Amino acid sequence: MQTADEFRARIEKAQQAMKEFGLGAVVLEPGPAMMYLTGVRWGKSERSFLVVIPAKGEPAWVLPGFEEMRARELIHAGSDIRVWQEDESPFERVAQVLRDRGVTAGRVGMDEAARFFVFDGVRKQAPDLHYVSATQALKSAGVDLSQPTAGRGRGKQ
Amino acid sequence: MNRRVFMAVAAGGAAKLAEAGAAEIPDAIAKLRPMMDGVRPITAGERRARIDKAQRLMGENKIGAIVLEGGSSMFYFSGTRWNPGARTFALVIPAKGEPAWVVQSADEKRAIHHEMIRTGSDVRVARDDADAFKKLAQVLRDRGAARVGIEERVRFAVYDGIRKEAPSFEFISADPVSAGCRVIKSAAEIALLQRANDITIEAYRAALTTLREGMTQKELNNNISSAFRALGSSGDAMAIFGKYTAFPHGSIMPQQLREGDLVLIDDGCSVEGYQSDITRTVIFGKPTARQRQVWDLERKAQDAALAAANVGATCESVDAAARDVISKGGFGPGYKVPGLPHRTGHGIGLDGHEWTNFVKGNKTKIQPGMCFSDEPTIAIYGEFGVRLEDCLYITESGARMFTKQSPAIDQPFG
Repeated sequence: MQTADEFRARIEKAQQAMKEFGLGAVVLEPGPAMMYLTGVRWGKSERSFLVVIPAKGEPAWVLPGFEEMRARELIHAGSDIRVWQEDESPFERVAQVLRDRGVTAGRVGMDEAARFFVFDGVRKQAPDLHYVSATQALKSAGVDLSQPTAGRGRGKQ
Repeated sequence: MNRRVFMAVAAGGAAKLAEAGAAEIPDAIAKLRPMMDGVRPITAGERRARIDKAQRLMGENKIGAIVLEGGSSMFYFSGTRWNPGARTFALVIPAKGEPAWVVQSADEKRAIHHEMIRTGSDVRVARDDADAFKKLAQVLRDRGAARVGIEERVRFAVYDGIRKEAPSFEFISADPVSAGCRVIKSAAEIALLQRANDITIEAYRAALTTLREGMTQKELNNNISSAFRALGSSGDAMAIFGKYTAFPHGSIMPQQLREGDLVLIDDGCSVEGYQSDITRTVIFGKPTARQRQVWDLERKAQDAALAAANVGATCESVDAAARDVISKGGFGPGYKVPGLPHRTGHGIGLDGHEWTNFVKGNKTKIQPGMCFSDEPTIAIYGEFGVRLEDCLYITESGARMFTKQSPAIDQPFG
């Protein structure tokens, strides 16, 4: 079981790699990278549950409003939690996080396993950014992307 | 609501327990018999017609082709069930011409020789992912598609691989095509959904006879899974007791059933891929006046959504109808708890949750063939929650429930 300090160290290492690979931030869906960097397991569903890790600054979480209490039981890395209600767009929240962290131009790394609708939603809200695979940066930071981590939380895939 | 995958994962341990205690399967479950007789799978002709419709929708939306990985949309159009893994395994359906497959050599034997692929004869075998992306780009060029729809669950890596091979192409969401087809169910699909719903009611009916003081949620989970197996299907349901029923997806806290607890079970099974999703909330013992009052209000909200789900009405109006009942009952408003913290319902078909939703802001007009869950929740944190969920399908003359609604807090089945 990793401690909060270990996750902080992993995130710092990933942030270092982001700078080397020229990424202003990475956007992760639930899966091996989210698990390795934050310890959070969550089932993928049509309701987006995302973490944005900027190259500089605190990670921010974007998750469904009615899951907030259940999610808070699991989240230790970062205290910036932004909920979206059922009639709101999670991708607007992601775009706001990117602006808040000063990511207004350049490249953003997408989780290679992120589903197309997540990427498509984010790019529509933040069309001036250039979206590339986060894989190289994550691998260089020691993230093992091969571990299956179907998580707690509901998901259908 | 459903969280079948979570349960499937968590059931690693549960399944072992169930095996170990096989001799203790309650009588009500042991005497269940399979309900799978007469199930009619979707025919090749119906799948062909789906592709024809997809091609028409591509024309209307100026999309040259759609790209799909393994999953519910691939199964819908082609009949091929393929769990998406690390290796690219993709289907391209063009607006004009034959579908084409790109599979890796490691999957060739299983895909071709075991006849997993039945739709179309253009199958291109790739050495690895990089080669697969080249071949996918080539398929798109061969079919004259430069504006490409990507199915919603295709991984970023696959999209990214193709766009690098075809940087001048435009990549957009395939939803107008894939959802455009899938959101309207045929009579054959509704029959499969009906069967999945019928099985789920029988599984729940048997499992709820096993409630006893001190029972854990896990024991009730196991009994529900055993019941699904005995009925010839596979399924699961989460079980929540007492104050934890206020959390729409439950809690990791261990729970033991006590006199006066509400019991909430939610999820279902699948038949030929078509999903059921049913929730029952029932009292164990004698209800308090408060429990009965909130339960009755919940039932009124569910009825209001059903009554509002008419052909031509907007999806958001159905959510508003249920939410209005709950607000007038003194809860909410909006998503505020105590009240209804989520949408009133979701589309259902090959996925337990799919397009389109009974949610504020969704101005989609209800059409015959659409299928939805009707599941307003009343969540009162610290006390309890009540959710009644039945699924409905839309006919020319209005909404029909697949199942009989729960008549009362102590009567889960109508």
